[in-house]
Amino acid sequence: METVNNPIRVFWSSAVLAKKALFAWLNPAMWITQLFFMSIFQMAFFVYVALFVNNDEISVAYVAIGNALQSLASVSIFAVCNLTGEEKQQGTIENLLVSPANRFSVFVGRAMFQIANGIATVVIAFFYAAFVFNVDFSQADLVSLAVVILVTTFAMTGFGLMLSSLGLFLRTSMIIANIFLFIGLLVCGVNFPVSYLPTWLQPLSYAIPMTYGTEAARMAVDGASLADISGLVGLEALVGFIVLIVGYFMFRAFEHLARSRGTLDKF
Amino acid sequence: MPRLRALAASFRHQATMFIAEPQWLIPNIIAPFIFTMVVLMLFKEPGPDALLYAVLGGGMMGMWGNTLYASGFSIQSDRWWGTSDAIFGAPSPLIWIIGGRTLWNALVGILNGLFVLVVVVLAFQMPFQVNDLPLFVLSFVTTLLSLAALGMLFSAAFVLTRSAQVMTNGLEFPIYVGTGTMFPIALLPLWTSPLSLALAPTWGIDAIRYAAIFDYDQGLWAGFWGDMLAMCVLSIVYLLVSVWLYKIVDKKARETASLTRY
Repeated sequence: METVNNPIRVFWSSAVLAKKALFAWLNPAMWITQLFFMSIFQMAFFVYVALFVNNDEISVAYVAIGNALQSLASVSIFAVCNLTGEEKQQGTIENLLVSPANRFSVFVGRAMFQIANGIATVVIAFFYAAFVFNVDFSQADLVSLAVVILVTTFAMTGFGLMLSSLGLFLRTSMIIANIFLFIGLLVCGVNFPVSYLPTWLQPLSYAIPMTYGTEAARMAVDGASLADISGLVGLEALVGFIVLIVGYFMFRAFEHLARSRGTLDKF
Repeated sequence: MPRLRALAASFRHQATMFIAEPQWLIPNIIAPFIFTMVVLMLFKEPGPDALLYAVLGGGMMGMWGNTLYASGFSIQSDRWWGTSDAIFGAPSPLIWIIGGRTLWNALVGILNGLFVLVVVVLAFQMPFQVNDLPLFVLSFVTTLLSLAALGMLFSAAFVLTRSAQVMTNGLEFPIYVGTGTMFPIALLPLWTSPLSLALAPTWGIDAIRYAAIFDYDQGLWAGFWGDMLAMCVLSIVYLLVSVWLYKIVDKKARETASLTRY
């Protein structure tokens, strides 16, 4: 029992199992294909739209950098948000929740592989920005950019975990996952500045860590040092931490609700 | 006739499944709606033609999203529910069963496309005036059928793989880019033109624009009826290739005994 209750052990075994479970059904070749192809088409779509629209304030670099970082969403939002929904579909959610293992360790552990996956996705996307869409990285501070990618990946995975708690109660987490997979494109300064949005919508932008990340990434590509972006990155980390904590309490609340209403295995 | 009965039964079954869980419409609406809004925000102060251009693209994206996800998930769901053996065991060829589902999904795709159109029109308080309404309706419905034919082509591959869901996710943006849903394909690198022109919906969206936008001058050389002809020919080719592929897939899935693995 002590072993089961050891949060670090639970966290690690959950992380290892998540990776094994993913590759039990996903062909590694397919995973690599996805890793290399998902971001380029999304980036291309918005870059060509920007070229067509020809808005003086929005350059190809602006859109390419924003989308390079946003490519993270398919992993840190979509995949992480669906963790609970997948447990339901596979019929394992009850077994997981009746075990005495620490919930926080289980679900944060499950998301760990997606952090590695997310970092790889974003790094590849930045290569596309440089070599396919000719974004100038000659002035870029690569250390700053690496820190932005790292912090954004952790913060957005925390955001995805918060959303995944809804999947405990709803019949499917897919709808929430879809909404937040794409909403970042509209509200997080990925394709245009947040100031373009109606004032009432802007607070939502700043509740999502990605908004700070896109701004910091553009600064890093323009040559800003770690000290220059520390304020933005610090805010992003703070928002990421807050959503993770909020997510934990939401998880407990929705678990309680799902148990009391008998909807835990309904999908 | 038994084949048509299988088609009709499959259509009814898909309709029932949809009515049992209509929330599946939502994910397919969200993405095109958000993309349309992003494009309109990029325009900053869109004129009537820009609005119409973006809205039509959003409508087509809505139709493609629905067709793609429905064809990808219907196969994947059969695996999850353990019903794929029963479908393969039935005497009707698989393509007729998938065809019935695709027809239902195409019907829902119209709702999907119209939803995006109506919401954006209302949000931007845009008077929705099209150049030629009968031609617009004709091109809209024909484009939807061409998307369904393209979905059929892809869905054959979904039968063989446990990663249908991943493939489904991966096929969304390439079609948006390749068909020029939100921009003229002339902006794309020249070497991609043959690929774009081999996609029936490329001609479809162009035909829709010819029918909808007054003085549309960014279209393909073929004009409205040329677009319609190219789209129909390509869609028929997709269907013929689908029939051939489904025969191969049916045989291979039985040989490798991988049908129920998920």
